[in-house]
Amino acid sequence: MKHAFLDKYSDLGSIIHRVDPRVKVIFFFVLILVIVSTPPQELLKFSGYFLMLLILLLLSRIPLLYVFARSLVIIPFVLLTAIFIPFFKGGEVAGSYNFLTLNLTISYKGILIFQNILIKSWLSVLSLTILTSTTKFSSLLKALETLKVPRVIILIASFFYRYIFLLIDQIMKIKNARDSRSFKKNPVYQFKIIGYMIGELFIRTYERAERIYLAMVSRGFSGTIHTLESFKINRFDLYFLGSLITIIFFIRLWR
Amino acid sequence: MHIPDGFLNAETWVTMDIVAGLGIVYAIRKTKTSLGERQIPLMGVMAAFIFAAQMLNFPIAGGTSGHFIGGVMAAVLLGPWAATLVMSTIFIVQCLLFQDGGLTALGANIFNMGIIGTVFGYYIYRGVMISFGGKKGLLWGVGIASWLAVVLAATFCSIELAFSGTVPLRAALPAMAGVHALIGVGEAIISVGVIRLILKARPDLLQRYG
Repeated sequence: MKHAFLDKYSDLGSIIHRVDPRVKVIFFFVLILVIVSTPPQELLKFSGYFLMLLILLLLSRIPLLYVFARSLVIIPFVLLTAIFIPFFKGGEVAGSYNFLTLNLTISYKGILIFQNILIKSWLSVLSLTILTSTTKFSSLLKALETLKVPRVIILIASFFYRYIFLLIDQIMKIKNARDSRSFKKNPVYQFKIIGYMIGELFIRTYERAERIYLAMVSRGFSGTIHTLESFKINRFDLYFLGSLITIIFFIRLWR
Repeated sequence: MHIPDGFLNAETWVTMDIVAGLGIVYAIRKTKTSLGERQIPLMGVMAAFIFAAQMLNFPIAGGTSGHFIGGVMAAVLLGPWAATLVMSTIFIVQCLLFQDGGLTALGANIFNMGIIGTVFGYYIYRGVMISFGGKKGLLWGVGIASWLAVVLAATFCSIELAFSGTVPLRAALPAMAGVHALIGVGEAIISVGVIRLILKARPDLLQRYG
């Protein structure tokens, strides 16, 4: 098994890692709301948010390169949207070019739209990356539970987290077996095989789930899960939350 | 296509968050009455299963690759409301852990790729299955519903983006729906393959929902 990629770096011991998970969840969720609601032309404000995220990132001692590489996840969607920017009509024209038979124009409005999505999605992704790289997944779920996310969802997610590594391992083994036997490139054939692979995994998973349930019942499972970990908010957490929220609202509302 | 933060305007993402939230609350109430505590480990492990299945990429034209969504398949195997919870949890985890899809856009993503497949797709599947009848009807139902779920997901995605002023609807809608009409064929063939294999090997697992 080599898939320890889910909450990598969440077991470092920096000052940010030690902040109460609930405080971090609230702070980063508020930050994302503030980022998303900032008007697109306010570049100075976005730089402010970025500076803040950068400081948190440096304090957390997560490798910068890792975080920036992770943040590239938005690129496909940004590119997809960028394709459509030249099709916006109207507004002042910033430039035009000919592509095949189409005469495409890029308006200032189009550029503003692009800038808007690029900056906002990138800053939001950075925020979420810092949150999940400084918080263990189990603590994150517990924090979400105390913040009133439905318990069923939390339970499903914790089972998910417990078994995902095993199942990824299993599907990768099935995939290796396929790759070492089949060299047919016919796509319909490939799709069919993928279907059978998933069906195979389903049956194995279903049977595994039955065993898990029986094992849990025999140990006294009654529908609730208890953990030994309990959260305590100390004075530092309150300062952390209070000062950072004040700063982001200051940046957001300052003119 | 997981929509990141910043692509939707406030009206759109708030509306979609409310819609998806209501869907989840309804699904929780439905599953509470119809399924026991036994279902919780099952749903959790199934979430991991669908996530693992989504890791199998398949090539699409032009060097790009797509992957299986599995909403319709989940609904056929687990029933529509349990599948809604499973798919929603997957999107929540993908958003938090992999930053795949934004926090504010979570409702839109859960609706587009989850609820459309698990609820709407499920009833399409049932409709086709009942009107055709037999094993053939069941497989056609799975195929048609899976294809439709992918095309509708793309359609709703472009409508939401256009509503937010991020893309122009006239150009984006046909392009997105067109490309996904092709990807949907892959999804349909895979889903039918899954169900065919289960029908052969463990037909008892499919009986509960028809």
